[in-house]
Amino acid sequence: MASNINEIEVRFISRMLTRLVGEMNATVCEQCGKCSSACPVSKEIEGFNPRQLIAKVSLGKIDELLRGDAIWTCTACLKCKERCPEDVSPYDVILILRNLAYRAGYSYPAGYDDFIKGVKERGFISRPQAVRTRDGGKVSRGDLGLPEVSGPRDMAPFNVVLQGIIKAGGRT
Amino acid sequence: MRYALYLGCTIQSEQFGYEASVRETLPRLGIELEDMGGVSCCGFPALNSVSKVGWHYLSARNLAIAEDMGLAVLPLCNGCHLSFVETKHFLEKDPELKNIINMNLEKEGLSYRGDVRIVHLLEALHDEVGTQKISEKVVKPLGGIKLASHPGCHAIRPSDLQRVDDAENPQKLDDLIRALGAETFDYPEKIDCCGSQLAVTSGRVTLRIAGEKLQAVKSYGFDGLVTTCPFCFKMYDGRQRAIKGALKDASLNLPVFYYTQLLGLALGSDPTSLGLQVNRSPIDDLVERILE
Repeated sequence: MASNINEIEVRFISRMLTRLVGEMNATVCEQCGKCSSACPVSKEIEGFNPRQLIAKVSLGKIDELLRGDAIWTCTACLKCKERCPEDVSPYDVILILRNLAYRAGYSYPAGYDDFIKGVKERGFISRPQAVRTRDGGKVSRGDLGLPEVSGPRDMAPFNVVLQGIIKAGGRT
Repeated sequence: MRYALYLGCTIQSEQFGYEASVRETLPRLGIELEDMGGVSCCGFPALNSVSKVGWHYLSARNLAIAEDMGLAVLPLCNGCHLSFVETKHFLEKDPELKNIINMNLEKEGLSYRGDVRIVHLLEALHDEVGTQKISEKVVKPLGGIKLASHPGCHAIRPSDLQRVDDAENPQKLDDLIRALGAETFDYPEKIDCCGSQLAVTSGRVTLRIAGEKLQAVKSYGFDGLVTTCPFCFKMYDGRQRAIKGALKDASLNLPVFYYTQLLGLALGSDPTSLGLQVNRSPIDDLVERILE
């Protein structure tokens, strides 16, 4: 079944590419800039600009985007998606580009490897930890009377699927 | 009202004040919570960036467990809530992917039908319990306290999916704050992002984005900030000291609470049952004012 999931992933990727190169031409986006004016990252990082990112996609400069850092510099606040009058949604385009970059083996922030490793090992990104209190102490879930956390009962079938999906791309 | 309680990675690993106060307060309002066995990450924020199929598989897997329990699911995290809603919506439109996911879920004895109801904490409190009933149960009103409402991006956007409140003018958290006897008012940065999702790429920018909002909130005269999102809370509360350093603003002290912590204080819960000891922002004076 894992190969099936993998085939679906590949089909997905090609569908995403079609959306990018086929549907995303210069006439779709009016370059109105509502996305960039709403973007919290544009205010802080010079050169991060969702409007320009969409312009690059419509000019076919996808490889440049896949190799760059910009696609990983989005806070996922969804304001560009919400305010886009043409339903282009820079956020969705960025997610597609991230998926493509990962599949193509281009670089991505190292933190993602930790997230994925956690999910593969125990079902969750992170494991329960003792947390600091305001007065400098530390408390665990148990100290606060919180029940134990349960993950997937059998990691084997869970992992077969995740391996099939994730192995084809990335470093993990 | 009975829900399958979905905690997700961040809350169960470290946001104990949220979980403890939810477990303490919701039953007082007639909401029964049932823990979910065998669940996993929802797929956000890691998997959706690298494998959309993997993300939908993870979300559908958790939804299948809720369907098995025969209950509506209550994901406490904004990110998990949107993740579930997106997957449900997406798989409705892609029966082929739904079939493939189900073939894989079958190995764990699971099956995803797609009819599970996904409920946000703000919906459970505002739409199902109702502010009237909440205010009737308040024994310690938060009179004279001004609280900034921060619903968080993923609770309200994108409006083309089933979201919790109006994308540009959310008011449910505000109504819930007022139900406790506290004051709140709109402010320009109310629907702005906390920046937390950028932490994996640029910690410095994240602190600036969060810090500028905290400075604004303070400048309007709010006594504190209230949210129901663990990512946002982690930024505004857990990272507040780092924000002060990054912005070189020693005066930036703002108490930050999960809504359910304040709800608990107003309902007369024992303060030690609300996980207030793990809030890192300076909440003591305000808590004292409420308990006086």
